[in-house]
Amino acid sequence: MTAIPVRATRKTRLLPGFPRCMILPTLLLAALILIPFAAPLITGADPVQIAVRDRLAPPSFAHWLGQDEFGRDRLARVLYGGQVSLTVAFVATTLACIVGTLFGLIGAYFRGPFEFLTTRLSDVVLCFPPILLALLVVTLFGPGAGTLVAVLSVLYFPSFARIAFSEALRVSSLDFVEASRALGTPSHRIVLGTILPNIAGPVSVQYSLTAAAAITIESGLSFLGLGVVPPAPSWGQMIRGARQFMSQDPLGILIPCVALTLTIYAINFFCDRLRDTLDPKGALGGGKDETSVPVAAGMVPADETADVVASVRDLRLDLMRPGGPVNVIEDVSLTLRANQCTALVGESGSGKSLTSLALMGLLPGAVRQARGALRLRRKSGEMVDLGALNAKELEGLRGNDVAMIFQEPMTSLNPIHKVGAQMVEAILSHRAMSPSDARARAISLLELVGINEPARRFDGYPHEMSGGMRQRVMIAMALTCEPRLLIADEPTTALDVTIQAEIIELLQRLRTEYANGLSLLFISHNLGIVAKIADRVAVMYSGQVVEEGPAAQVLNDPHHPYTVALLESMPSSHEDLHSARGDRLRAISGTPPLLDARPSGCTFHNRCPIAVSSCADARPPLFVSADGDRQVRCFRAPEAGLEAAR
Amino acid sequence: MTPLLEVQNLTKSYPVGRKGLFGKRMMQVLRDVSLSVHPGEVLGLVGESGSGKSTIGRAVLRLIGADSGTIRFEGQDLSAISSTDLRRLRKDMQIIFQDPYASLDPRKTIRAVLTEALDTHKLHLGTARAERLIGLMEMVGLNPTFLDRRPHEFSGGQRQRIGIARALAVEPKFIVCDEAVSALDVSIQAQVLNLLADLRAKTGISLLFISHDLSVVRYISDRVMVLYLGKVMEVGPADQIHFDPEHPYTAALISAEPSLKHTSQRIRLTGEIPSPLTPPSGCVFRTRCPYALPACAETVPPLRDAGQGRMKACIRDDIL
Amino acid sequence: MLEFLLRRLAAAIVMLLVVGTIIFSLLVIVPGDPAELLLSTGGGSATQEAIQNLRNEMGLDKPILAQYFGFLANTAQFDFGTSIVDGSSIADNIALRLPRTLEIIAVGAILALLLAIPAGTLAGLRGGGRFDVIASAVNALLTSIPGFVVGTLFIYFFAQVLGVLPAGGYVAFAADPAQHLQMLILPATTVALHLATIIFRMTRASVLEMRGHDWVRTATAKGLRRSLVVRHHILRNALGPVITVAGLQLGILLGSTVLIEFVYNWPGLSGMLVTAVEQRDYPTVRAIILTVAAIFIGINLMIDILYSLLDPRVRLQ
Repeated sequence: MTAIPVRATRKTRLLPGFPRCMILPTLLLAALILIPFAAPLITGADPVQIAVRDRLAPPSFAHWLGQDEFGRDRLARVLYGGQVSLTVAFVATTLACIVGTLFGLIGAYFRGPFEFLTTRLSDVVLCFPPILLALLVVTLFGPGAGTLVAVLSVLYFPSFARIAFSEALRVSSLDFVEASRALGTPSHRIVLGTILPNIAGPVSVQYSLTAAAAITIESGLSFLGLGVVPPAPSWGQMIRGARQFMSQDPLGILIPCVALTLTIYAINFFCDRLRDTLDPKGALGGGKDETSVPVAAGMVPADETADVVASVRDLRLDLMRPGGPVNVIEDVSLTLRANQCTALVGESGSGKSLTSLALMGLLPGAVRQARGALRLRRKSGEMVDLGALNAKELEGLRGNDVAMIFQEPMTSLNPIHKVGAQMVEAILSHRAMSPSDARARAISLLELVGINEPARRFDGYPHEMSGGMRQRVMIAMALTCEPRLLIADEPTTALDVTIQAEIIELLQRLRTEYANGLSLLFISHNLGIVAKIADRVAVMYSGQVVEEGPAAQVLNDPHHPYTVALLESMPSSHEDLHSARGDRLRAISGTPPLLDARPSGCTFHNRCPIAVSSCADARPPLFVSADGDRQVRCFRAPEAGLEAAR
Repeated sequence: MTPLLEVQNLTKSYPVGRKGLFGKRMMQVLRDVSLSVHPGEVLGLVGESGSGKSTIGRAVLRLIGADSGTIRFEGQDLSAISSTDLRRLRKDMQIIFQDPYASLDPRKTIRAVLTEALDTHKLHLGTARAERLIGLMEMVGLNPTFLDRRPHEFSGGQRQRIGIARALAVEPKFIVCDEAVSALDVSIQAQVLNLLADLRAKTGISLLFISHDLSVVRYISDRVMVLYLGKVMEVGPADQIHFDPEHPYTAALISAEPSLKHTSQRIRLTGEIPSPLTPPSGCVFRTRCPYALPACAETVPPLRDAGQGRMKACIRDDIL
Repeated sequence: MLEFLLRRLAAAIVMLLVVGTIIFSLLVIVPGDPAELLLSTGGGSATQEAIQNLRNEMGLDKPILAQYFGFLANTAQFDFGTSIVDGSSIADNIALRLPRTLEIIAVGAILALLLAIPAGTLAGLRGGGRFDVIASAVNALLTSIPGFVVGTLFIYFFAQVLGVLPAGGYVAFAADPAQHLQMLILPATTVALHLATIIFRMTRASVLEMRGHDWVRTATAKGLRRSLVVRHHILRNALGPVITVAGLQLGILLGSTVLIEFVYNWPGLSGMLVTAVEQRDYPTVRAIILTVAAIFIGINLMIDILYSLLDPRVRLQ
């Protein structure tokens, strides 16, 4: 009866395999709850029987924990006292939970007055410190376990209502609830069958938290002598009673303190683990500030002419997982040249973003560079190996020699700082300049990227701008220190087409107009955009570059079957096809492999329309065209006139 | 032929934030939208963010209420019928969502998802049930042995197929596809588009296909409707709208679409999409329109006949 | 910004009114005659005369609406009436004792912030690291010890076993500053410990969350120094949720300090409250709770304003 929501959770979500991290807290909690109720089995002593002659008697065979100031058996008192405390706490919490959850569910699903009641009620109750409200009620009704249960449930039901309300609101805005409504499922079945199981997690966390708080308040009131009425035992009362004798008899005070603390700890411990299990996102994952350091300097490649601004050689990245490292990037090599735009193309999970983050020294903490070299030309003309730099030198490089813009303009700017401050901070970290000069420079850059009223926008906040404007700000910010290389990771994916076209045009214009020319590494899944902006294209599939070459050649005459498939499956490249006429797009079957389940041999062979049996045996090498300008990782490339490299 | 779905003068606004201490600010997302879908027809809805296309999808299914306007499905006025009748009618109209992750209950097996649909309308009871479930899985190209798996065991494309199976379970006559392929990678997107094309060929189902991707909409739809700030800009046969747009906004949208071919010069729009809180007077598009005249600010241009089954909301005929 | 302030102020005033109404109506919804109920300590019944006197004194014989508006009007002027036990002015008594309670809360809160925010930040930044694991484990244990238990154990160790600090009591600061401070140490530390566990938890969670945001990666990509990224783009953003929770906890602390003051014999509001509850002196209890609720609403108003200074987006909504 006492743990309905918890059990419900397990049934729905945790059943298939009971999570291992929940075993210990569950056992501990169960033990601490059950032991007091097993009191008659553990001791035959009566918790209220007074034996004045044995006051403060030390532990003996008959009284394992000794006797208290009235000579009552302490073990019995701790156990029976636990019964009272736990019963008060769990009955009150359960009542509060049931009533509150119902309130919240009704408020969220039916809205209107229910919503107002649910949200305001908890605001009001929150104004009263719980223990004071309890005292107020005790004044009116007198102390006692019944009063406590009543006041605690009234006190705590609004917090359940609030949690249930906000969670139910979140869940009912999800598409699967909308789908149930669209199917005509009756309201009560949606609320109880779909919404309730999905909010059970947070509600059960709240249940544990509340139970712990209720035990604290119950024992606190009993400690003040205003809770459970003597002679009925309770932990709070035991501490109160033993206080006067603490110097003669420290045991008397320690026993109830330990019992109380242990019980609360067990509930909190259970609650913490439950929260982590239900919401693994909250548990530790590398933050975006955490970066892993590149490996030591690699060998210097031979073909590094003066126009190379950055190069990636034989890069191999591993994702560190509990079961061991998973290889996510395999043998990726890229050469970025001055005034050139190289596009890195691929579907989600192909590794294109990781490759670009590696060039910034911004790899997430869980990703390790296992092999390869990342080299970047500084503005001084010197070529540096990222692996040979320490964290401080990397800071000096980022934003200064290489800059980056990201996919989500809405979240890439810090919402609490003014746009201008965020730009100035970038300038001042690389240039010795007065703040007013930095301000002037930032405003002129805002103007350069096409922001109207740059001086006003400089003092504005990101949330006052549209997505397109924020992306322009991101670009201006990236240009503050005149980098040679700009990495743009899906910079237009989150934008509308008309805005996307403007941003692409801006980037095009900057390549020629800006400073001494800008090299671009442009990451995208959209081949149409790539065709507009890129000089060279590298196509990635499952952590490898499968085809690389001049953009026009790769897009018009692809050699790798995956590139062919990508182009074929775009509806925009088949303007003559229409579904109503029975035309079908030439789609390839299957899905890209999961990172930890990449096939042997060519990673594309199980989806490849032209695969031969030997494709499953070994990873294909890169085959190079006669002029050395194109590379294809496919065993059938020689049929198109390419040769195995080196 | 009577339309399967007929919407007239649909208007919808949402309260956002406050005005002064007590007033509420209203954001108008749909202005006087009329449309019709005939049996077996696919109508494409195109527009950028804030155009109200998703709101239309939900309003025609009565998942959200409209402020004014009528919605008739097979001649029945949806705003006039009882909630019991509406629930019964839901068997005939379904929806497929954009986000393959949010559209399936993480706690339910595929069998439970499909069973909910069949139970609600008491379809295929008893022994026919198992056969129907297998049939549905095969129809959307999924292995029937997956029935007892939970959503997290599937990829995005597979989830989208499950969402399609859920919609098809009740044998609807009409499905709203709300950005149904937008979240998918291009190779998977083609698979799902082919699946939808096969379904329409086999079952003669009608679709309201909502998307921001013009090429996808052109491929799948018979007719296309272009929306901007909750207003209809242009309607007409898909190929004509795509290759020969008459409204400047449609033309700008199509010319901005990145394509592999080097198309004609892009029509440049000035500025940003205005906030729906403060829409321009007259034609809502005039603030960005390269062909706007002073007259455009004065009256709202009506949606008028442009010949060959096309309609447009622009006062000019001398452009494009 | 002005509109935001006005709106928040209006909301706070409405909240005060609601709180006053609820406290007033508690007496109305009590079954039977409240005067009789209050005088029936320990089961014995009071004389008819005494009940009638109390009814007069509390104004219970007037019509309900008159009682209600009289109560609101008096409360607004800080006139809480007199104690039904000894007839002393409740407002004077509160004015004498409230500053003592606020003193241990304020000192405790400052100690808690000084300890918990740096520790929580460090733990959040090194999520999963050794410091985080140890600090979080210690924190989980400390969270589980109720304040009055901490107090009792502190007295046992510091006063009884070690004998380095007084077990409790109070001397006015003006009378003997050194002794005043000495007596303040234990109660303030007990308050601080409790508050610190909550702030630590919140800071750690908030820092962990902020670390995952895109703007942190942007800041790193700009080449900012790590310390600047942490201060400007993680900590500044994390502070908003932390102060909100801290404010809420301060309010709850106003209540739980009762227990801590009781343990240490600190003559703040608690002694007055506990005696009043024991003697069922309803007007006194009601006045103390109203005062605390008003302080709580005031603290939250200040937190709201502080939050809006930290995060400009708040002002919009």
